[in-house]
Amino acid sequence: MVNPIKKIMVYIDGTEQSVTAAQYAICLASFSGAELIAYYVINTRAIEDLLKARIFFQDEQNEYERDMEADSKRYLNYVNELAMKKGLSIIKKQGRGSVHREIANTVDQEGIDLLVVGELSRIRSRRDEFYDETERAIRMVNCSVLIVKDQDKVWEMYESLG
Amino acid sequence: MALIDLIKEEIIKIPLVSNDKPEVIRELVQILVDAGEISDFDAVLKSVHEREDKQSTGLEEGIAVPHCKSNAVSTLKLAIGIAPQGIDFNSLDGKPSKIFFLMLASPNQSGPHVAALAEIAKLVRSKAFCNALISAENARKVVKTFRGD
Repeated sequence: MVNPIKKIMVYIDGTEQSVTAAQYAICLASFSGAELIAYYVINTRAIEDLLKARIFFQDEQNEYERDMEADSKRYLNYVNELAMKKGLSIIKKQGRGSVHREIANTVDQEGIDLLVVGELSRIRSRRDEFYDETERAIRMVNCSVLIVKDQDKVWEMYESLG
Repeated sequence: MALIDLIKEEIIKIPLVSNDKPEVIRELVQILVDAGEISDFDAVLKSVHEREDKQSTGLEEGIAVPHCKSNAVSTLKLAIGIAPQGIDFNSLDGKPSKIFFLMLASPNQSGPHVAALAEIAKLVRSKAFCNALISAENARKVVKTFRGD
């Protein structure tokens, strides 16, 4: 049987959970020999919604967009460093727009075999509004999805990687 | 961290007792101090006021979403205050505000901050949801309303 996972994409959103997901993805790529893409989406859709709702004003919208751009670079560089420490090279990729749609589109465009994401909230709400972008992406993508849990265990696994 | 993870009884106060905007901001920040979520009351208060001075976050239909970035926090913080009687918060429609969401974020957490604020914006579009919050008898009921129980 051929390796079913040739291309992995890990979604990074600036949360601890997504960094843990990146560590797991690095381990997985290292063992499987798969190509690894780290993907961050600047949620311009949410910023526009906040401007429309008047929670943000124009200058604030611009400021947050710049901040998110900087966060994107910082977190992608951080994940890149994590990979380089383990002798792995990754592809850093940045998107803009509606997060779940951008993830789904990129999965299709890049021919991703496995999407890796951080742990979701353990608290359930019956309200649709609480389906966050990661959860929406999980439902929408056309590839298999791995949800990474247990930060301590993943850290140990990452640290033990040669 | 998702917005739903932040919602717990300790960060909810109902009813708020303040009578005006400066008082209600203090009361909201104090909720987070009492809940052990923040320790630097003055730094947070200053950041919230600096943002409010640029443009009021008092929206329409009784909703206010004061928010700011602050070095006094390392993760997202949320306080919810409900004032069924309404408090003047210099809102867009001139009506008194009844539901207050105070959201704080570290300056390097703009992504999660924006996502959480966007979730609040979506939630408060529902009049039925807002009415349920305003008529809640206590913090427990508010949590239940958020969870859709």
